[in-house]
Amino acid sequence: MKKVAFKTLGCRLNQYETDAIASQFQNNGFKLVPFDKEADVYVINSCTVTHQSDHKSRNFINQANRKNPDSVLVVTGCMANNAKDELEGRDEINYVVENDQKSSVYSLVEAHYNGEIFHPSKVNSDLFSYGSTDKGFHTRSMIKIQDGCDNFCTFCIIPSVRGRAVSRSIQDVLDNVKSVVANGAKEVVLTGVNIGRYEYKKYKFDDIVEQILDLDGDFRLRISSIEPDGFGDKFLSLLNHPKMTPHLHLCLQSGSEPILLQMRRMYNIKRFKEIVNKVRSVRPDFNITTDIIIGFPNESDQDFESTCNIIKELKFGHVHAFKYSIRKGTRAERMTEQVDEKIKTLRSETLREIADDVKLQYRNQFIGKEQIVLVEKTDGENAKGYGEHYVPVEFKGYELKKNHFYKVKITDINKDIDPVLIGEQVK
Amino acid sequence: MRSHKVIEIRNLTPSTYVIKMEKKDFTFKTGQYITLGFSGSIDRREYSIYSSEQDNFLEVLIKEVEGGLVSKKLKRCKPGDYLDIDGPFGHFSLKEDEISKKKFLFIATGTGISPIHSFIATHPNMDYQLLHGVRMKEEAYERESYQNNNYILCTSREKSGDFHGRVTEYLKENPVPSDTVCYLCGNCHMIYEAYDILEKQGINLGPIHTEVYF
Ligand SMILES: Cc1cc2nc3c(=O)[nH]c(=O)nc-3n(C[C@H](O)[C@H](O)[C@H](O)COP(=O)(O)OP(=O)(O)OC[C@H]3O[C@@H](n4cnc5c(N)ncnc54)[C@H](O)[C@@H]3O)c2cc1C
Ligand code: SF4
Repeated sequence: MKKVAFKTLGCRLNQYETDAIASQFQNNGFKLVPFDKEADVYVINSCTVTHQSDHKSRNFINQANRKNPDSVLVVTGCMANNAKDELEGRDEINYVVENDQKSSVYSLVEAHYNGEIFHPSKVNSDLFSYGSTDKGFHTRSMIKIQDGCDNFCTFCIIPSVRGRAVSRSIQDVLDNVKSVVANGAKEVVLTGVNIGRYEYKKYKFDDIVEQILDLDGDFRLRISSIEPDGFGDKFLSLLNHPKMTPHLHLCLQSGSEPILLQMRRMYNIKRFKEIVNKVRSVRPDFNITTDIIIGFPNESDQDFESTCNIIKELKFGHVHAFKYSIRKGTRAERMTEQVDEKIKTLRSETLREIADDVKLQYRNQFIGKEQIVLVEKTDGENAKGYGEHYVPVEFKGYELKKNHFYKVKITDINKDIDPVLIGEQVK
Repeated sequence: MRSHKVIEIRNLTPSTYVIKMEKKDFTFKTGQYITLGFSGSIDRREYSIYSSEQDNFLEVLIKEVEGGLVSKKLKRCKPGDYLDIDGPFGHFSLKEDEISKKKFLFIATGTGISPIHSFIATHPNMDYQLLHGVRMKEEAYERESYQNNNYILCTSREKSGDFHGRVTEYLKENPVPSDTVCYLCGNCHMIYEAYDILEKQGINLGPIHTEVYF
């Protein structure tokens, strides 16, 4: 039996795509092994959002080649688009597959073993032909509804590497949801590059969410990362639907109005706060998590302070902060007032402390309350999973099973860097 | 990406010019931008569309930026050259149901007047006032395109305009009725300051109402 190993970097969309490709390999008799084990095929689904992600992708390419120099090594994802020539020039890499051909990774490897060698650009370029992710790595079933982005935020390389925004047909999406739910999926996560801009014929993002929520079945819906633009108030009202999980990862990037303008983001602080306040007016414990870029060109101490203040004010459940790094070909690359690395590091530390503090405060409020936890790992008596707010929970119970929902009474919290709620099954 | 042939270059000042290109089957919504570069070149920049939706050609208004790469290169293009166009992109656009009903205030600095020119050329009967912030009078690009009473030139370096000072100073001295629909385009600092002034005057601004160039 041939063995295949995957390494995924970057966003949830990449994770979804890896899951789907992994399912194809498994359906065709491959055994999935961890990336640090010897395999016949290594697939690296790369990211190029920051310099660090480029660096990591390169390390994994080297690692795979060291483990088995005779393996078939496939590099796909955003770095494959952004540094194609460099990667194609490396002998150890067999295939460099751009994002729009990613769904054909399995066919390429299959052809390779059949002795046919063809260039990835000759294969199918359907962005949505991944099939379902039933044999993937997660209990959550991700459904890709959209790809690409036309926003061109000045720091972002994604529109250049993922291409123009394209939406999947609404019928396809609904069929996909029905099929994963019929196969036992308990949590459906909508994914894409800029899902709030979903638009297929007359259907917008609000419409597709509404139609998914109206489907029958015992599942809950999670919206993954979303930009605070593109959707309307109808979407916000759908957040109260019983099938909808009270969690949004709403990308803020900066708390400073002038910096948001220079980033060419499509919202202002007032609009962002309006969204958060609207959502929390109905469910005060709604979990809003976010992304922050530290040290964007021209970011002054005052701009940074505004970012720290908004984190405290909006009490984000989690802040994914990263230091700004120049991406070639973006407008921000050409901005003259780049921020010194040392200042970025200091600001990162300050921000991390604030974000950790706010996260702990947010999670503390669940002590004494109940969560519906979807179990991801269990030995039958102890289980780990996520509650509906997307906060990690560990609990004790009886005959616990993976991929089942349990009502859990939260009794405590462990105060690690990522504080986990502790609880007991409610019988 | 498609290649479009250059028809004409119109020099408006020693540094600012209009490139007129064939339109082919390109369609856009007034206010949107394209990315532009010489055919085959990797150096591309965003430019708002200057011409109207109904014109049978495409135009962009460009100012050569000191030390700039693409704005300098494009200035040397000639009729018959080919430029690569990608797009249209952007959400800086008018709301259909407001065009014939509302009173508009457009505020632009420098070449930020380009999408406003397109708005007005596409909808000549709009009820609007246009504040154009520049340094000197010669930068009142193709002023004759706008009805005279509606165009207010704010010159910051000399007294030759209709108002001596920045657009933001004009706004402070001439408050805007709160039912006006405002659109702002150009320099980020102007947009930030004007935004603040307008909000204090009771104007409700959404993200589609601003277009930041740099
Ligand atoms: C959505 C959008 C629409 C735009 N529409 C237009 C338009 O219609 N007409 C137009 O002339 N420009 C427009 N621009 C600006 C344009 O894209 C380029 O930035 C500009 O032409 C300079 O490019 P460059 O290659 O010559 O300079 P670069 O080599 O990119 O930059 C050189 C230096 O000049 C600075 N700089 C960049 N732009 C300006 C500027 N406008 N004024 C002063 N300094 C600047 C940069 O920060 C950099 O330090 C638009 C920008 C955006 C984002
Ligand atoms: S919205 Fe902005 S940050 Fe998000 S993918 Fe598009 S360009 Fe990048």
